[in-house]
Amino acid sequence: MALEVLLVEDSKTQAQQIKETLESVGLRVRIAYDGPDGLRDAISNPPALIVLDVKLPSMDGFQVCRRLKRNPATQDIPVVMLTEKAGPKATMSGLRSGADDYIPKDIFASEHLIDTLHELGILED
Amino acid sequence: MADIGPYKVRPPVMSVRVEDAMDIMIVRDTTRRASSLIGFSPAHRAQLSSAAATLAELVLKTGEAHTIHLNGIVEGMRTGLQISSETPWLAGVSANNVLIALKSKMGDLVDDITLQGNDPPTILMIMWLSDTDTRSR
Repeated sequence: MALEVLLVEDSKTQAQQIKETLESVGLRVRIAYDGPDGLRDAISNPPALIVLDVKLPSMDGFQVCRRLKRNPATQDIPVVMLTEKAGPKATMSGLRSGADDYIPKDIFASEHLIDTLHELGILED
Repeated sequence: MADIGPYKVRPPVMSVRVEDAMDIMIVRDTTRRASSLIGFSPAHRAQLSSAAATLAELVLKTGEAHTIHLNGIVEGMRTGLQISSETPWLAGVSANNVLIALKSKMGDLVDDITLQGNDPPTILMIMWLSDTDTRSR
């Protein structure tokens, strides 16, 4: 059965684009549109991977990631941050919150995301 | 392969000419690819690509086209990636002040930042492979 990814992304347009990218490589995708919903979803039904936006309503992606990594039910799930915040400070905040990768949303984002899924063992080489 | 800086260069040897904002994305992409070839983990690739893109953006703000060089480097048993760019606009500026500014902005992203030479000065940023990187050297 295909592995399931939890995508936490508040923009419906971007969520659909990322979902299509992930589905194109055979993954199943469910979406949460804010941080608290993403946390609840991850804890109640742990996915194989979490793709997490940074700018989210209620709770930002850094906070969500820190909580995921503190919770024994979710701490081992790989987290990839996919975000418009591309600077050095944001990159280090994302990685220090426990993310396995931090990918800016630019024209190469889909390629980088899929490369990382191979690297993390979510996709087979 | 010409060495830039004190270390022996080994593949990958890549460079990106930066002339406008679009090229910053290409720098980021090329750095991820170079660091992947060397064996850096995704997190370290993110750090290196952020460092290279920030350097490209910084130099572009001076209004000058420039080239970002991405070289694999070795020193003894260590392997790493060196990001460098010539910066003629820094000629005559205190190296110490430049280093303080660079380290304050990008010091957390890489293992070392140095300034080499004066004609023109070259900014060098280095990250070495570590135990947390997944592939063997």
